[in-house]
Amino acid sequence: MHTFAYARPATLAEAVALLAEHGAAARVLAGGTDLIIRLRDGTLVPDVVIDLKRIASLRPGVREEAGLVVIGATTVMTDVAADPLVRRHFPALADAAAVVGSVQIRNRATLGGNICNASPAADTAPPLLVYDATVVAEGPGGTRRIAVDDFFVRSGVTTLAGDEIVTAIELPLPALRMGAAHERRTRRRGHDLASVTLCCGVREDGVTRLSYGSVGPRPVLRVDETGILADPAAPAEARTNILEQLLADASPSPRSMRASPAYRLAMLRVLGRRALATALERLEARA
Amino acid sequence: MSTDRVGASPNRVGGVGRVTGAQRYAADIKLADALQVKLVCLPVARGRIVSIDSSAALAVPGVRFVMTAADLPQPVPRFGPQFTDRPVMAVGETKYHGEPVAAVAAETKDAAEEGARLVRVDYEALRPIVTLADALAPGADLVQDASIRPRDPLAGTNVLREHRFGWGDVDATPADLVVENSYTFPIVTHFAIEPHVFMAAPDGDGIAVWSSIQHPYWLQRILAGVLDLPLSRVRVFAPDPGGGFGGKQHAKYEPLVAFLALLTGRPCRLVLSLEQTFQAVRRTCTEVHVRTGLMSDGTLAFVDVKADYNIGAYADIADRVVGKGSYPAAGPYRVPAVRIVSRSVLSHTTPATAMRGFGNPQVNWAVESNLDEGARALGIDRRDIRLRNVARTGDTLNPVDTRCDGEWDQAVRRAAEMIGWDTPAPPGHGRGIALGFKSGPTTGLSQSTVRLLSDGSALVYAGTSDMGQGARTVWAQIVATELGVPLERITTVSGDTAVVPYDQQTSASRSTVLMGNAVLRACQDVQAKVRAMAARLHGVPEEQITVERGIVRLPDREVAIVDVVKPGLGRMAGEIVGNGMARKDAEPDHPLQGSAAFFEFNCTAVEATVDEETGDITLHKYATVSDVGKAINPLQVRMQDEGAAIQGLGHTLMEHYIYDDEGRIRNLGAIDYRIPTSMDLPLELHSDVIENADGPGPYGAKGMSEGALISAAAAVAGAVRDATGIVIRDLPLSPERVWRALQERSAR
Ligand SMILES: Cc1cc2nc3c(=O)[nH]c(=O)nc-3n(C[C@H](O)[C@H](O)[C@H](O)COP(=O)(O)OP(=O)(O)OC[C@H]3O[C@@H](n4cnc5c(N)ncnc54)[C@H](O)[C@@H]3O)c2cc1C
Repeated sequence: MHTFAYARPATLAEAVALLAEHGAAARVLAGGTDLIIRLRDGTLVPDVVIDLKRIASLRPGVREEAGLVVIGATTVMTDVAADPLVRRHFPALADAAAVVGSVQIRNRATLGGNICNASPAADTAPPLLVYDATVVAEGPGGTRRIAVDDFFVRSGVTTLAGDEIVTAIELPLPALRMGAAHERRTRRRGHDLASVTLCCGVREDGVTRLSYGSVGPRPVLRVDETGILADPAAPAEARTNILEQLLADASPSPRSMRASPAYRLAMLRVLGRRALATALERLEARA
Repeated sequence: MSTDRVGASPNRVGGVGRVTGAQRYAADIKLADALQVKLVCLPVARGRIVSIDSSAALAVPGVRFVMTAADLPQPVPRFGPQFTDRPVMAVGETKYHGEPVAAVAAETKDAAEEGARLVRVDYEALRPIVTLADALAPGADLVQDASIRPRDPLAGTNVLREHRFGWGDVDATPADLVVENSYTFPIVTHFAIEPHVFMAAPDGDGIAVWSSIQHPYWLQRILAGVLDLPLSRVRVFAPDPGGGFGGKQHAKYEPLVAFLALLTGRPCRLVLSLEQTFQAVRRTCTEVHVRTGLMSDGTLAFVDVKADYNIGAYADIADRVVGKGSYPAAGPYRVPAVRIVSRSVLSHTTPATAMRGFGNPQVNWAVESNLDEGARALGIDRRDIRLRNVARTGDTLNPVDTRCDGEWDQAVRRAAEMIGWDTPAPPGHGRGIALGFKSGPTTGLSQSTVRLLSDGSALVYAGTSDMGQGARTVWAQIVATELGVPLERITTVSGDTAVVPYDQQTSASRSTVLMGNAVLRACQDVQAKVRAMAARLHGVPEEQITVERGIVRLPDREVAIVDVVKPGLGRMAGEIVGNGMARKDAEPDHPLQGSAAFFEFNCTAVEATVDEETGDITLHKYATVSDVGKAINPLQVRMQDEGAAIQGLGHTLMEHYIYDDEGRIRNLGAIDYRIPTSMDLPLELHSDVIENADGPGPYGAKGMSEGALISAAAAVAGAVRDATGIVIRDLPLSPERVWRALQERSAR
């Protein structure tokens, strides 16, 4: 492995200053489940690695605050999946967190790392998009809030500035009832990266939010406001048409070894239908 | 104490060390003052080396030496278990992606890596031969220069060897139905969890080598040849491997590291990453064309098989894999006429080597699947067609080979019964059944020494590599049974060619039979000496004394062996040394140069469903039953059988290498090469054994642990076919492949 300096700042200000000082030569470390792999295979060769885990204000955890559920960026998947607030209000996020990697990975992988790494296959991205999450970032200029839909650009690239650190992810407590479900497709049942990852949320006012990843450069959010998808009694053809429109933004890479574009697109539809059905059941159950 | 003996399942010898991390694997051995080695490879499979410039690498602090082929004796020594074709490092041209062109030795791993990055190799990329079709195309480039294949009539082709086996006249044998199909089997790799490790150090006038090798004594001979040293100056340390599956049978980079050690005068250490291991070892992949001739009552008339195996750039042991793997292609059946033509075909890919099942799974998948097609066409139950044809004890299989040595129908009936074959399957569920069959070892030589010490404890020396199969436990149980020594007072010794007597190899499910017999005979040698001692001690003629199972029977009473040995050895202590040997000689006129010591037989029965939307296969019930003669340690036997079944599910459901046009493996490493996890197992996995004490090993044992892998694919594919009607003749049965077949079915 290429050698690098290791910094373990105690405050956010220190961390931000280090980032500003070293620019692109610095890299932030949370759980390391993405970063360490890249350090080892030599695709990243930073001069400085800045560990966030000793920053007091970044202590992991989930709290409720002024109509929001705030998840600390360094909260690991195991804790996201088990958290009572998340499970009550955002069960599809808990479901997605619960299938990231393996037990060992989930004990280290952070929610902040998952979105900052910006893999198109990131499993928490679709539920965060469906639940309309906001990314909270801290930089030299202070705090910035970015809608998660404005956060992802393409694989490995976000709208986060080079000197910003994600401190939290905020989820608005739903004003309307919603049923939501996460589905994914992998090559085996044991841990694997998704070749399709998808979340569907149906609101009591008839709005359906559908988000999917691993079928294009970034996770996509599409919203149906016609009420047709949310209405099981609507004609099947109409529902299929809407679903097709929502899924039209998928453009899977033909270079991928995980699945061919044809299979990915077919599975996107299967998972879309399945997630929609589960979301409707859950909405029903919440009534 | 009966829990120590043969037929019981005491805790595995060394098991606690394995699960607590206390066991020292090869990589855990740190040699003082060792240099770390990093290989330099080209980014293509086939490249003509123009020049190598090491100057920048040598300038890296800590880099001590950069070895290229020019530093080796000329011509560069070649080696191999079957052909002397693999050079210590690439000469002139690389033949596969990952073949080293240079090796950097440095004080630290980081320095070696940095050095390796800086070695400048000018090369000309050449078009690699990757597939069988490429290799067999008229006018194809030759993978191996004809100069290394002297007096070989096939030297002008990429066919290394063609094997022909069979009996009867297939063309003249009438059949009511002929089923003819082609099947493919992908390239898969062993995926042992322990990395491949190669270390060497100058040792007086010779060399000491540490390796995660399965065959230390074979390695010793290879090294002695390459280095031109007497065997007595080559000491191989072979710590228990952490999984081998055949991938660690034969020498790979030990010669390279040995030369580095001799040239630098320092210990040298090379540990392969998982990615490098993928490039170093793999199973042969195969295209098999089968014609199965059947009478209308389901009786087999003939089996006609053509099998081409892609063996990669150097033969390693792969041509033997081809011969021995295709030879039993007609299966465990009585077949009047059989014709088998198999070829080992060279290509610019990782040299294939032995892998659990040794060439049989590739052919069995085709032949068993084809038999299913015949049964369906004739309207005969797929279990019944097998029962109709499967040989019974003493029946002739291949006329020049060992006769049927088991009650195989018992295993077929048992496996079928375990998944409820005779009850209707639930809606949407399909069932499959297949028989796994393999010739056991054709030759073998194992030697053992047992030392019964003055306090009644014992040492057993056996050169078998215990790589998880539990060999040490078996030796200890035999000693416990024969000499009455409690298990915790027995120490098993292996892994050092300077200390432990010769064993030919740990492969072909041989050790329990061959080394087991050697240990048993060493125990019997001890017993004979105890008998003489008892005669002297008690003033009784030897003829009136028997010694067996730990007991000395005198005319008037019985005493424990230890109660003879303690007073017998007396105040000067000492010990009783017994030697044993088991030997199976070659038969020069036999098509495989030796008949089977025993047959491995397995029946797998499966019940599955298929998700018609996604192509996912769910295995609801999975039963594997092997004929083992006698389970010396029933728990270990089950673990081997179930482990083999699960490993077989790998190539059945998900494993395969993906190549690019340059002949590089695209899915190098764990992320995109998937093996089954605990979550991918059948919902119910059952195993059972058939024991009739009819094997040639101790107490009637036979070898086992490959059979369950051999039959996995055909059984699963049969269940998928039964559930959905789709026939897939290419492995693995990945969800996407099953989905495609379902799409095509709907389109019809
Ligand atoms: C075996 C294995 C299986 C996996 N399976 C899955 C899976 O099924 N689904 C899935 O989605 N992912 C999976 N991953 C990927 C990975 O575990 C997740 O993306 C994880 O959430 C990353 O979090 P981390 O804390 O480990 O990030 P790190 O590796 O520490 O960081 C990842 C990236 O984000 C940056 N970063 C981290 N935190 C911040 C922050 N607060 N502010 C700014 N930048 C930051 C880092 O600089 C780095 O570039 C898997 C990984 C492995 C090794």
